[in-house]
Amino acid sequence: MKKFTIAFAVFACAFLTSCGVKKEGLVIMTDQSYKATMFATNKIGFGSPDGLLWHKGKLYFADEGGVALESWSRSEGLKKLVDAGFGFESPEDLVIDANDNIFFTDDDAGGLWEMTAEGKPRLVAGKDKGLISTEGIALAPDGSLLVGDGEVHKVFRVTRDGQVSEFLGAEYGITKPESMVYDDHGNLYIADNEDNVLYLLDPTQKLHRIIDRNNSFSPETIYFAKGSLYITDSRNNKLYVYTPGEELKTIAAFGGQLKNVQGVTVDEAGNIFVGVQVDLKHKVGDVIEISKEETQVAQR
Amino acid sequence: MIGTVLISLIMASLTSWFTQINDQLLLLINSVAGRSYMFDSIVAFFLDNDLAKAGVIGGCFLAAWYGGKTLESTNARRRILITTLVAAVCVITTTKVLSKTIFLPRPEIQTQKIYRLEGEELVEMKRMPVRTMLDEESQKDHRALLSGDIDPNDLGSFPSDHAGFFIAISLGIFLASRRLGLLAIGWSVFVILGGKMISGQHTPLDVAAGAAVAIAELALVQFVLRKRFRGWLDGLAGLTLRYSALSSAVVFLIAFEVSSTMIHIRAFLAFLAVMRRHVLLGMGS
Repeated sequence: MKKFTIAFAVFACAFLTSCGVKKEGLVIMTDQSYKATMFATNKIGFGSPDGLLWHKGKLYFADEGGVALESWSRSEGLKKLVDAGFGFESPEDLVIDANDNIFFTDDDAGGLWEMTAEGKPRLVAGKDKGLISTEGIALAPDGSLLVGDGEVHKVFRVTRDGQVSEFLGAEYGITKPESMVYDDHGNLYIADNEDNVLYLLDPTQKLHRIIDRNNSFSPETIYFAKGSLYITDSRNNKLYVYTPGEELKTIAAFGGQLKNVQGVTVDEAGNIFVGVQVDLKHKVGDVIEISKEETQVAQR
Repeated sequence: MIGTVLISLIMASLTSWFTQINDQLLLLINSVAGRSYMFDSIVAFFLDNDLAKAGVIGGCFLAAWYGGKTLESTNARRRILITTLVAAVCVITTTKVLSKTIFLPRPEIQTQKIYRLEGEELVEMKRMPVRTMLDEESQKDHRALLSGDIDPNDLGSFPSDHAGFFIAISLGIFLASRRLGLLAIGWSVFVILGGKMISGQHTPLDVAAGAAVAIAELALVQFVLRKRFRGWLDGLAGLTLRYSALSSAVVFLIAFEVSSTMIHIRAFLAFLAVMRRHVLLGMGS
């Protein structure tokens, strides 16, 4: 019996090692013209980022796990811009205006927060003004900010001086405006990851349901670049690209410890950066770069 | 020190050898796919149709349950079959837990460009030149794969839960009745598991690992229940004879679930989990 047990244990070990047993991560490229590389891990100093934004050669993180706002560049490395000491709890999404002022939302502390270009943090408008659990954020063409609230199911307009007004009321039926972005034509895309719908609000304020596939699509973060909308889906663990007039196309599917895809942004060269929350509680996260294969780049 | 290096080298070469043999075997078995629409449709039918796939196993189970010639032999068979059901539940739990821990995509998924996390790097995996079957369902699945529609269940193929479950049930039937058991084992290996490998859903290693879990856990459960819970087992087998109408109804339900690889029970458990999440914890989706 003892010999049998030892033999069985050795056999099991051989089996398990032959399969590389440990919690693995996978990225499956369904668009073969792209390749995936690990851009950054916790080793560079961030926690578990939610919102990502590429701006003027720097990558900015709304670091939900690390409870901080951070930036990264090749020359400076990771820089903490502001941390939890200022009063926010869970940075969610961010935008940056032309003057390099950073605005971000917080789904736990609520409110709209700003880190000015001069490096001064401030609360633009808080819970007292009705911003209970802020999610998606977009820079409106008039310079104001649109902030989605998942608690009251509304989208608010917030001016730079902190005036809050209702932009889209509950009657529009958007349950959780998780992410928002404007395209080149003044259309506002809104991702609702509670009802699993991608909306488009045209310049005449008419709301359209662009993608509505409840079982297979749940938009987490959206980012508009060069005529296309890049979408992460943390429920179905995918990265999509949507070009108006065309079908939704999957670029990559994520599995294992890389499955919880969150923020997405695109740099000037068209490289896509996807934030992955590996373990939010333990502040573990990665950033994966999805870029065109060399031959594709040469063709472009 | 030398010993450690030597063992590492042996393990590395064993791993490489295992992988090579596994890949070659899979490609050999899968080489019959994608050549004949008729053949592929037959294989797919037995994979997709629960009655065709597992009805035989459910039938063998029922036949073994009622087939004892004497009261004593019926009692003995039922003890074995009750133990087998307990073992089958343990086996499916083990294989599910393992497949969610070990990330090894199905061979059909490995036809795509996949990057695997190794340390802190994403490394491109070797692609498997698996042939796709020609039947409608397989072609539809393949088109879905090409458009990125991947079922999370397809990312954990090791070990095969079908192999674990059906081998456990078939072996249990074999212990209760040799003839019926041989039929069940043959059906499981050649029809169910053979189809899984032909279609590229599992490698021989997945199947072998599932079968190993089944054999080990069936032996363990049989041993433990007989040694420690013999009284309970005898009592339960006796009750099935005393309340034969009720036990027949229960056995029918069990055989029905065996024939449908417990999908209804799994759906019911998933429903309970959703209820717990929404009602008790008050969480949204």
